[in-house]
Amino acid sequence: MKNNVLIEISGVNRIFPVPGGEFQALKDINAEIQRGTLTVLRGRSGSGKTTLMNIVGALDNPTSGYVCIEGRTLGSMSDRAKENLRRKEMGFVFQAVSLIPTMNAFQNVEFSMRLAGIKPGKERDKRVEECLKLVGLGNRMHHMPAEMSGGEQQRVAIARAIAHHPKVIMADEPTAELDSAMAAQVTRLFKEMTRKEGITILMTTHDVGLMDAGDMIIELENGQRIS
Amino acid sequence: MYRIMLQKLWHKKWMNLCLLLGSILLIATVVSFPLYQSAAYDRMLQDEFKTYLATEGTWPTMNSMTVLSKKDPQGQTISRMEEFVAGIHQELGVTEKSVNYFYSLTQSEIRSAMERWETDGLSVRLSAMTNLSDHVKLLAGEMYSDTGLTEDGAIEVVITQDAMVECNLLIGETLIFKDMRDINGKEIRLYVKGVFEPVIDDSCYWQVDESKLTNACLMNMDLFHSMFTGENAKKFTISCSYYTMFEYEDLKAGQVEKLMETTDYLTQESSFRSTMDEPPYRSILDSYNRKLERIQATLMILQIPVLIMLGAFLFMISGQMYDMERNEISVIKSRGSSGAQIFRLYLYQSLFLTLVGGCFGIPLGGMFSRILGSAESFLEFNNSRVLNIVFTKQAAIYAGIAMLVTLLIMTLPAIKHSRVTIVKLKQQKALKQKSWWEKLFLDVILLGISLYGFYSFRKNSTALAENVLKGEALDPLLYISSSLFIIGMGMLFLRLQPKIVQLIYLCGKRFWGPASYASFMENIKNGRKQQFIMLFLIMTISLGMYHATVARTILQNACDNAEYLDGTDVILQENWTAVVDSEGHKTGDYVEPDYGKYSTLEFAQGYTRVLVDRAATIKGADKSRQTVTVMGIHTREFGEITWVDQELNNRHYYELLNTLAENSGGVIVSENFRSKLGMKVGDSISFQNADGKNDSATIVDFFDYFPGYAPTQSALNPDGTVSTTDQYCIVGHYAHFRQRWGVTPYEIWIELAEGHSSDEVLAWAEENNVSLKKYVSREDDVKNTITDPLLQGTNGVLTMGFIVTIVLCAVGYLIYWIMSIRSREMIFGVLRACGMHKGELFKMLMNEQIFSGVFSILAGIGIGKLTSSMFVPMLQQAYAATNQVLPMQLVVNSDDMVRLYSVIAAVMVVCFAVLILLLFKMNVAKALKLGEE
Repeated sequence: MKNNVLIEISGVNRIFPVPGGEFQALKDINAEIQRGTLTVLRGRSGSGKTTLMNIVGALDNPTSGYVCIEGRTLGSMSDRAKENLRRKEMGFVFQAVSLIPTMNAFQNVEFSMRLAGIKPGKERDKRVEECLKLVGLGNRMHHMPAEMSGGEQQRVAIARAIAHHPKVIMADEPTAELDSAMAAQVTRLFKEMTRKEGITILMTTHDVGLMDAGDMIIELENGQRIS
Repeated sequence: MYRIMLQKLWHKKWMNLCLLLGSILLIATVVSFPLYQSAAYDRMLQDEFKTYLATEGTWPTMNSMTVLSKKDPQGQTISRMEEFVAGIHQELGVTEKSVNYFYSLTQSEIRSAMERWETDGLSVRLSAMTNLSDHVKLLAGEMYSDTGLTEDGAIEVVITQDAMVECNLLIGETLIFKDMRDINGKEIRLYVKGVFEPVIDDSCYWQVDESKLTNACLMNMDLFHSMFTGENAKKFTISCSYYTMFEYEDLKAGQVEKLMETTDYLTQESSFRSTMDEPPYRSILDSYNRKLERIQATLMILQIPVLIMLGAFLFMISGQMYDMERNEISVIKSRGSSGAQIFRLYLYQSLFLTLVGGCFGIPLGGMFSRILGSAESFLEFNNSRVLNIVFTKQAAIYAGIAMLVTLLIMTLPAIKHSRVTIVKLKQQKALKQKSWWEKLFLDVILLGISLYGFYSFRKNSTALAENVLKGEALDPLLYISSSLFIIGMGMLFLRLQPKIVQLIYLCGKRFWGPASYASFMENIKNGRKQQFIMLFLIMTISLGMYHATVARTILQNACDNAEYLDGTDVILQENWTAVVDSEGHKTGDYVEPDYGKYSTLEFAQGYTRVLVDRAATIKGADKSRQTVTVMGIHTREFGEITWVDQELNNRHYYELLNTLAENSGGVIVSENFRSKLGMKVGDSISFQNADGKNDSATIVDFFDYFPGYAPTQSALNPDGTVSTTDQYCIVGHYAHFRQRWGVTPYEIWIELAEGHSSDEVLAWAEENNVSLKKYVSREDDVKNTITDPLLQGTNGVLTMGFIVTIVLCAVGYLIYWIMSIRSREMIFGVLRACGMHKGELFKMLMNEQIFSGVFSILAGIGIGKLTSSMFVPMLQQAYAATNQVLPMQLVVNSDDMVRLYSVIAAVMVVCFAVLILLLFKMNVAKALKLGEE
């Protein structure tokens, strides 16, 4: 089973300097995330979910401990290498609307493929369509973000996150701004993708209703893993 | 409320600082206008008076009155006049310089107490002048005493030298009036105490005609009063002249209106109107007023685009700010605040900014007006000439209006926004709008209007020149056409710009990297947001180029014209004595002053004598005599000190002179001899000089332009039409004319050596006792051209406008960029999270800057060039002096363009620097606002 571990989180601490002392956001977090699973990071606001997510997504560095992705320690990588990692091997879905407002759905999805360096051509276009169809927006490909509802926008963001075949998707509260039906739909979509595309998904949420959806659940409280 | 306001101000401090800057500049610009005007007009008024004094030699601000007191029983005529004269300056509201009377009894026969036969039948006028003793030089004898009487009761009098000769009077002689007796019936005895000559100084005391003094015996004025005026006036007829002068140096432009009104009342309506002469200053003020109107209107028109841009700037910034606060406003609104409350909040905020703007703007306006007054040329100043700036009531009114407008511009967008609730806002955000002007085709309309103006002005360009002669102001339509053209072209460019970007995008669709791709998308889809700032940039550059060209062209052409008409650096003519025959008739010969002394002109590069006869004649077609100018020159010497540009005559100037030099009996004549009189090379031409002496010569060549020669002269007819007359000119050899006509007065044309001033020639003339009849200094003429209030004001307004627009443009562009980056910080965060490098992000923003900034700059340059070449020739015509003879040349000074480009480049560099700074400060995680920390 060991060779099926994609992400290894080991002894991660994160301390933020605050006026008059410091604040420990994460305390000795350990976890192993399996390939092709949906992992749910849960906890209340301020429990350290996003901090952990940022560290796993190579956006932030731990104060101590390390995160390995396929055996590569993020902490020892250069900024450029981390950027390339994010471009090619990761996909991001954010809580707030994160589509580029001047591009339509198709172009937004295509953009992540451009960033990943996937050559233009019929294949790329086909992949964009495929991803948009996967999220159920095959008929709204040429709409601008402003013309779509919040849920639709979030689904475009998911399509964008998977289009370039990343190894892992980081989804930070992707359902926070959606109603529960929509949230359930998004979560179902994630599960489907882990099966269909073999993608590993790391998702944070504070929505109790969704917590059981994951293959693995990491629960945080005050920066500590409690389950 | 005030705390909320202050908090709000602080929260958006940079935006508010920009608003403050805008309001300061707007107020300063508006205030500078009346300040400059009143100061410049004061100077102009002084110039008018000084010119009058220099050319006419009499005091310009003088009133003269004459009245005859004919055996007036109560003596009221004189007492009323004296009272009136004493109060006239107070009535006119001016500073008194002097008030003088000249009283004279009627001429009456006298006999000498010495019974000399020479005095038989002689009659004299017993007269008196106030303050006489201060303005005479005694040649013999003494001045009359304070009492005015001798010990034995005779009236002491003084006489002029002319009177002494004419009347054959002697000093110490007692004269007795034969018929005239004093009030008590006793005989009046005069004692001739002294002989004087008038001292002519700058006080302009001597207004009394000298012919009136040849038989006048002048006595003490106080004594005259006690003997002949008041009750005593009933027995005498006294002619009274009054000369009241006031200081013109103290006269301010603001007083002119009252002065003119009062003067007109006094000379036309008051009970003293019959006694008053039309004062010389009346016509001076009239011509001053005409000039004033022209300048005022012209400068006003030139300021309009700057004021509009200032207003637009304020509108843009406040609009931008309201945009940023839209969320806040709509939230407040949705929570139940009334529109009026929100409006009031913004009103207070604007009021605060306007008041602070006024505090800084008004003094800055004073500085601006000083800049205006020291403008020598576009973006060039001479600090040695300082205008005396006084804060006038008019300036206060202007400041008030400017502040009100500033307040309105800043507050008006609030009305719109105070009605928007959060629901409407969400609806609005979803809409994709085309700019209102694009839908209205405003660009096409503006271009249509301006091109219509352009063609109609070009069609009757002569009308423009006529307007100048008529003293009319710059036609607002002409200037507005050019401004509209710039705006219209700018908007047209904005309409096309997204298409151009799209075209570039499509051309390389498959090659663009993610950064370029993102920037293309941003520009194509979101470009409209930046239209305003782009238009601003385009207008700043094209107006700057256009104004630089206008200012340079007008000034350069005016100076070139002045230089050409003068011919050379200095022209002198001495006073020549005409030879008179035994019967006193002029023979037409003259005594030639020593020409050799000019070799002592060490500061002259060269000099030559030039015969210039402007009153020579030729026989015209219908046997009437046609006036021509005959010039006699020494070809080599003349050629060395004068110059005519090759393109004016279509050949080298020396070629023309050489043709003349090779033919000792030949002449070169102006082109109109060929075109109007049908003459050709080889024809013989007969002419007469001013003294009527004949000559004839063979035409060897024709010229269009020759130093000092104006091919046509335009004049305004009394009926308001303009007539243009051809000027004919014949240029021959000086030696030839001297041989034919003898020695006739000639001019000395001098070219100064490098670094010498024409003042040195004057000093030299004074030192060598050379009495000058004519003195022309090119240096002075060019200086006068530059300091002409219209030209200088134009340069000043254009320069100031340029500086203001550059500042606005720089600030506006920066603000726009910072805002645009700030508002997209989250998207940048997303892009960075997705793995975009900082370098790529920078490239993306660079591209955007190129699409908006660089494209606009290029468009601005193109539009500026096009506008200059189209409109400057016409505008120049509207500015041309009445004596403009040289064809207009478009002048583009590369220094101006370098300055313009470097300012723009500096703005762009600052923008890039700010961009880099912002990018490096950007924290990805923070920008994304990920998480809850």
